[in-house]
Order: sequence, then C-alpha cells, then structure tokens
Amino acid sequence: MKNLILEVKNITKEVNSPEGPLTIVKDINLTVERGKPISLVGPSGSGKTTLLAIMAGLDLPTFGTVNLLGSEITSLDEDKRAQIRGQDVGFVFQSFHLMPRLTALDNVMLPLEISGDPYSMDKAQEALKKVGLSKRAKHFATQLSGGEKQRVAIARSIVNKPKILFADEPTGNLDKKSSDSISDLLFSLNEIIQTTLVLVTHDLFLAEKCKEVYELSEGQIL
Amino acid sequence: MRRGLIYGLKKFWSEVFSGDLLILFCSIVLAVTSISSVGFLGDRLKSSMLMQASSMLGADLVLRSTSEIDSEFLSKAETNNLNWAETTTFLSMVITADDNLLTSVKAVTDSYPLRGELKIVNFNGIQIEHSGSPPSGKIWIEKKISESLGLNRSDTLSIGNKNFIVDGIIEDYPDRNSSFVGFYPIAIANIVDVEEMGVIQTGSRVVYRKLFSGTQDNLNRFEDSLEAIPANIRLQKAIEAGDNLGEDIANSTTFFNLASLFTIIISVIAAMMAVRRYANRNLLHTSLMKVFGASKSFILGHQIMQLTLMIVSASIFGLILGYALQHLLLSTLQGIINVNLPPPTFRPVIIGFITAVFVVFATAAPYIKILSETEPIRILRNDFVIKLSSNFIIYLVAFFTMFGFLGVLFQDIKLILYIVMTLICVTSALYLIGKLLIYVLSLIKFSNGTGWKLGLKNIVQRGNDSILQVIIFGLSLLFLVVLAETRTDLVDSWTDTLDEETPNYFLFNIQEYNLKAISDYLEDEANISPDFTPLIRGRLLSARRPGSEGVNFDNLMEREANLTWQYDIPQSNTLADGQWWANADEVAEVSVDREIAVSMNLEIGDELNFSAGGKTFSASVSSFREIEWQSFSPNFFFILSPAAGRDLPNSYITSIKVEDSEKLMNKFITRFPTISAVNLEAIIDQAKSSISSASLAVQYIFLLTLIAGILALIASIYSNRDQRTKETAIMHAIGASRAMIFKSASSEFFILGMLSAITAIIFSTVLSSVIFYQFFDLIYSPNLIILGLSFLLAIGFIFIAGVISIRKSIYASPMITLRDS
Repeated sequence: MKNLILEVKNITKEVNSPEGPLTIVKDINLTVERGKPISLVGPSGSGKTTLLAIMAGLDLPTFGTVNLLGSEITSLDEDKRAQIRGQDVGFVFQSFHLMPRLTALDNVMLPLEISGDPYSMDKAQEALKKVGLSKRAKHFATQLSGGEKQRVAIARSIVNKPKILFADEPTGNLDKKSSDSISDLLFSLNEIIQTTLVLVTHDLFLAEKCKEVYELSEGQIL
Repeated sequence: MRRGLIYGLKKFWSEVFSGDLLILFCSIVLAVTSISSVGFLGDRLKSSMLMQASSMLGADLVLRSTSEIDSEFLSKAETNNLNWAETTTFLSMVITADDNLLTSVKAVTDSYPLRGELKIVNFNGIQIEHSGSPPSGKIWIEKKISESLGLNRSDTLSIGNKNFIVDGIIEDYPDRNSSFVGFYPIAIANIVDVEEMGVIQTGSRVVYRKLFSGTQDNLNRFEDSLEAIPANIRLQKAIEAGDNLGEDIANSTTFFNLASLFTIIISVIAAMMAVRRYANRNLLHTSLMKVFGASKSFILGHQIMQLTLMIVSASIFGLILGYALQHLLLSTLQGIINVNLPPPTFRPVIIGFITAVFVVFATAAPYIKILSETEPIRILRNDFVIKLSSNFIIYLVAFFTMFGFLGVLFQDIKLILYIVMTLICVTSALYLIGKLLIYVLSLIKFSNGTGWKLGLKNIVQRGNDSILQVIIFGLSLLFLVVLAETRTDLVDSWTDTLDEETPNYFLFNIQEYNLKAISDYLEDEANISPDFTPLIRGRLLSARRPGSEGVNFDNLMEREANLTWQYDIPQSNTLADGQWWANADEVAEVSVDREIAVSMNLEIGDELNFSAGGKTFSASVSSFREIEWQSFSPNFFFILSPAAGRDLPNSYITSIKVEDSEKLMNKFITRFPTISAVNLEAIIDQAKSSISSASLAVQYIFLLTLIAGILALIASIYSNRDQRTKETAIMHAIGASRAMIFKSASSEFFILGMLSAITAIIFSTVLSSVIFYQFFDLIYSPNLIILGLSFLLAIGFIFIAGVISIRKSIYASPMITLRDS
C-alpha cells in the first residue's frame, strides 16, 4: 500500500467574474507519496497556484476533497486547517514574503513563535545555518539580495520541520545562478529534513528534478 | 489567544518605533492630554469654586432674614452634627470724641466664620490670633474707619449706648456680600454686646444670619429636617453659589471644553488614518501568520495585546502631559482664580483612560475584525490592500461610537448634535465635491508629457482614495478653522469690554444742585462731559400678577433696590424681552434685569411695589434687559419709566474716565467734599489681568488642537504614501524625470488641498456662527483675516507635507525603492 501524504479527489474551483462563473481548476485528481517530490507545471493562468492553495489548505475547493497528512482538510474550518499548517506544512513563495521590518532571524522565528515554541531562537539559527545564512541573521529583509531573501524564506519554511513543503515558483524572481542554488537547496532539504516537496513552477528543468511531474492546462491535468 | 497575547507583548515596541503605530500612539496621547488637562483643570476649579463659594458665605449653608430667626434651627443643626454661628449686621454711627462715621456693624458669635478666613492684624500690620469674635467690650474695625476717625489701638469708640475698645484691624473677612452692599466700612463686635448697644429698633435695617457647616450628608439631612422655612427666611447654599463662575472663567471653560471636544474628534480622524495604514501594512504579516498556522484567536490576541499596551502607555504619557498642561493653565489663570486649589480627584485620570480606550475602539476594532478574518490565500494572490468600499461599515461604527462616547463625556447633547449634523453635511459635501472633481477630470483628455497633467490623472486613478483624502483634509481643517475663529473672537470680545474709554471713577452722592458745578469743573479741568444718572434708594416690597393671584415670587422679600429712571435704554443694556416704554411720561413701568427676573419668577405685565423716599408706588414690568456689567457704567436691576421715577427724591451717580487721575481727583475731592469718588483702576487692572490670563490659557489649549490637526493631516498624507512611493519609483524607472514627478505630486496635493480648504472655510462659517450664538452669546461675523490665512496655510501645509512625504522616493534609486517595497 502506498504511503500517501496528500490525496486530491475531484477538485474543482469556480470563482465569480464579471462574465459569470469562471472555472479555475476542473476535476483534478492526484496523489503524493511521502518523500517523493512532485511538481506542477503549466503556463500562466493554468490553475497551478490555485491548486497548490487548495492542496495546502489555504483555500477551499468548490467541489471535491483533499486529504492532507491523514486529515480531510476540505471539511475542516480555517482554524483547524491553520493548526495543521502550523504543525506539519511549510511554504515557499515566489515573492519571498519576508517581513521588511524584521531581521532574517526574526522572520525565520515567526512560525515557531506562533506555535509558542520555547526554543524558537535556537531552531531559527539552526535553520539559517542549514541554508547558509547564519552570518546574515541580524540583517533586515530589505538588506538582503533576492537569492538571500529566498534562502531566508526557505529557512522559515523548514524551521518547524514540516512533513510537506509547498513551493510556489520558488525561483521565479531569481537570476540563473541564484535559481540553481535555490533549487539545489530545496532538493537537498527534501533529503535532510525528510520532507515531501510539492513544487509549482514554469521551469521545466527544475520540475524534472521531481519524481513526478503533473502538467496543467486550462485547469486540467493533461 | 494566550500565544497571540504573548506574541503581541514581544512585538509591541518594535511596532511602535517602526512608525506603523506611532501616529496612532500620538493621536491617543493628544486626545488623552487634551481631555485630562481640561478635566484636571475643571475638577480643581470646581473644588476651588465651592471653596470660594463657601468662603463667600462664610459657611456651607446660611439662613438669612431681616427679622430674627428662631433658635430652633440651631438645635436642629446640632442634632445633625453641624457647626453653627450667628451674625447680626446693621448700619449704625460709630462715634468718637471728635467725629463719627456711618458703619456697617457685624456682630458675631465666637464660632464665626465657619468657612473662609477672618484676618485681624494689629496697628503694625502683624496678624493676631483670635477666637472668631472680639471679647465683649472690644471691637475690630476696618482701616478705613481708623483712618477716618483717627483711631489707634486701645482708643475708645461708641456704638449706641455701648463703648468699645479698638482691639484690631480687619484685613480680610469671608462673607462680604452679607453686609449692606455699598460703601460702608465694617466693624466686627461680639454678638453679646448687641443688646447693650440698643441701636436695633423697630424698623431698623438689620440682617440676621445663621451659618452652618458640616459634611454634605449632614447638610442634606439638616435641610430635609427644615420642612417649611418661613417666607421671610432665605436659604443660601455654597454648592449653588459655586455654579456661578466668573464670566471669563465660564467662557474659558466653555472654550476649553469645545477645544477638547475638537481635539478628540481630530485625534480620532488621525487615529482612523493611522489605523488604516497600520492595517494595510499588517495584512501581509497577518496573512503570513495565518499561512504558518495562526488561528483567528491568535491574531485577535496579538492585536488586542498591542492595542492594550498602546492604550496603557499612551494614556500614562497623555495623563502626565495633561497634568503638566493643567499646571501651566492654572499658573496662567492664577490671577483670576487667586486661591490655592485643592488637588484634583481621580476622575480625570479615569476619563483620560476611557478616552484612550474609546479612541482605539472606535478606530481599530473594525480593523482588528478584518485582520483576524484575513484569508491566508491573500499571500498567493499578493493582495495586501483593504478595499475602501469594505470600510464603509468601519467608519459608520467609528462615527456612532465616537459620538455616543462624546455625548456621555461632555453631557451636552445640543453641542454634540450640532457637530454630528455638521460632520454629516461636510462629509457629504466633500464626498460629492470629490466625486465631481474625479468626474470632471476624467472627461478631460490629457496629452502625455506634462507633470501637472499627470498629477490630475493620478487623482482620477486613485478614485476613492482621493475622495477620502479630501474628506479627511476638509474635516481636520474645518475644526481647526472654527476653533481659530472662536479663539480670536472670544479674546477680542474680552478685550473690547475694557477699551481705552472704560471709566475709572465712580462719583456718587451728587445732589441736583451740584450737577452744573461738577459738569463745569470736569469740562474745564479735564475736558470731560459726565452723564448723570438718577439714583433712588428704595426697596422692593412685593409683586403681583394681575389676574392670577397667589403666584409665588421667589427671592423677593426685603430686596434692597437701587433704582433709577431713564427715558432711553442705557448703552450697556440690551432689550431681552418686552418693550421699552412707548409712553414714558404717562405710564408707570419698570424694566428688570433678565437674570433677576428669572430668579424672581417675574413675567412681563407683573406689577412690582416699591418704597422709596417715604412713598410706596407700583410699576408694571414692561421689559427685561441683558446688562453688560463689565462696562463699568452705572447699571441697575430696576429702571423706572420717567412717569414712575421722576418725582422721587434722588441723588445722582456718574462714571468718568480721568487721565492723570490722582492729581485731578485730589483737587476734585477738595473742591466737592460731599461727593464720594470711588477709584476703579485697581478693579480694571484686575479685570485686564484676568482677560490676558484667560486669553493666554485659551492659546495653550488651542495649540493642542492645532497639533492634533497637523497630526491628522500628516496621517492622511501618509495613509497612501507606500502606494505613491511605488508609483514614483515605477514612473522614474520608465523614464519620467524628477521634475515631472515633482510637478505631478505638487499638482495633485495642490488640488486636493485647495478643494478641502475651500469646503472647510465655507462650512466653518456655518459651524462658527452656531457655536458663537449658542455657546458664547456672541454674534458671529466672519473674520476674513483668519479665514484667508487658514485657507493659505492649509493649502501650503498639505502641499509641502505631501511633497515631503514622497521626497525620498523622488531622489532615491527606483531599483532600491521597488526592491524595498
């Protein structure tokens, strides 16, 4: 029997638009095995990010169910989903989303402070060390380069040792060199902290590093 | 929630110093400073007024009559644990071997006075200890008596059948108004000597008083036990006298309350804008926290802790500043108040704290709700703006909360309603003007390439944000302009009451045969043409309402009344009700001071019976007058028509303005020794000092409102600074020159500033006229200098502050700006 960490069944997402209801993703089914990274690829507007949001419990589908880490998150309220995210899920975003008025260390500590972890500072320093930025711990987000910001964001995503890590276009805002470095880091972390990577990207080269690649077009898996 | 509270505690000071909460912090500090300074001041003034009122009466409660008062009241007072004293005051000649002087004799018991201080000094001016009344056979006299009669310590004088040894000089005594108001000097004797003097006969003018003091509860019980007080006894209470503040203080206090109210409203406006910016900037933080597992209660806990710490720290800071400002105001007003004030109560502290809670609740509560319900998906959509359309309810909630609170706080529903109406009208007008501006600008086809055209285009593109800024600028300016006008006109009205022509001497005891000689003398010596006013010594005996017998006229019995008769209404009087006599020589009528009329329950048409010059006569009340007592002209509670007063025996009184007064008046007194001249200069100087003190105090309070206004304007300008900064960087990046960006921003702020200022100026005239009329009894005429200056300063300030707010991004590298944002 497969050791599934994520199971998506018949997911459809519709939104209202001035032209009437618009279907963003339609009847999606997929599964993710523990420890096996997957990627979602497709052109802009194909529904990749929407699907990622639903899989991670950041949004709810119009139809269908999502089973994440053994919980059917589509039937849970926002606070319950937040609890699962806080304990076992990590996120990396294309725009980094670091708090500009916080230092790198404070940014990394954020998920642990929310969960009330008494060792948040030690663990954050450890995470920064893993991404090679321990010397930049006291720097504010605005004082870092794009690649460094994404490393801090990755440190933040792994600081609570998540079982699954969702990355939305993690190299989308970076140059080639930084992009290569970040992709190496992401896949090495997959090994080091035993997390499962779910990657959304345009970058086919990056996508092909995953065990499975799902291609989306007009809201459907091809 | 607990984790959220701890997180909020950790992040508080970094949030304050990062600037996001700083404007909110300052808004709360200003609101608390304003309300607490006025609160501390009011609180202490109220206590002081009560002390002064008690001192004026010499007691907390007084029974006063022109006939003897039953001693049963004293036993009732003792039953209710009250202290008591008695005084008997009458006019009598004080006689020495060589001379005599008409004197007001006050005979008192040992316990006199119960409140206030009776200061007795020896002939060397050194204060002497005493038990409240001189021993039997001894007497204390005012300096005026010792000077007039050439008396020294241990000299003897007699009153009626009794001889007294002069034992001290009265330097000060509390119940000055209890004696015959006028110009008679006072002597204090022991009440046990009254009978031996033998001067009180049937028909003598005597005032008997019984004085009581004690706790308010005991006083209330005593009053309840009095049942029906005989009609000839008047009950006077300090607690009621304490309500009658001096006019300068009363007007200053009204202004302080108004300024305080405006400061709170403007602070709330500033806080609203600050909270809006804070919430917008915190949307990313909150969304991130949600993504990383924060629950709704965690976010609530975080925000509640931050705002609670904000309330506590800003309240403490505001209360300290408020107490300091109150000290400054008091030291400024010391000339007027002139007493050692008791310490304030805790009430202003509590009110200051509640104000902070209210400011935060009214402005932040709706945003806290929005933040706690933030969807984590915003992170993936990069959607970090709270839409203005969704804020309508927020502002509505803030609006009603604010006025509900202000209604309770100021307990002046009328004022609050006027302000609510004005706010609704001005906000609607500003909204429509903003909409119209955007519509008109959107119709214009702008060609590219010119900075100012770009600025106008930006106003259209910002849409509702532009309208909100016009509204906030307009409202802040409105309250500032109204207060500036009120302040200026109030100070002017005070100053106008004492102009260069204010009389500095009263001359009285002038007989008919003196008139020409005095006129000629003053004309020749000082080029003065005095107006003589007849003065009739009389007494109001009774009142009657034709057709309604049995009407109860309050405070009527035994009222001493200085009367006059006049053809025309005096210059310093205005008709408040009724008509000035149409047939002056035929009909016996009387015009009454409006306040006296109210206190006596009089109506137009009532008949008053007087006695004067051995005659009794009646006159019908034909009008009520407002009297400008500060005019230093002869003024009267009762003015008779010539038909009623012309044939009564009278002397004359006049007031004159004399330059180089001492020299001229010494000569005058030598020339006319029977005329009494009273120098008013000390009183005028005191009044002038009061006015300048009150004016200065008003300036301090206005300054606080001005700071709040500037803060609101800055908060409004900074509310969309991030967006402007980003747009500036993008424009810069795509090739716009600095000059073009500068012109674009300048034209945008200039247009917004001008629209707001015009609307604020127009509506300020409406609100000012209502406030002047309703709260200061002043007629409003627009002060064009203030309005013009306000208009220019407002446009200038919005323009300069706006340009400064984006100055950094104009000169910064667009890459750095975009990367940081």
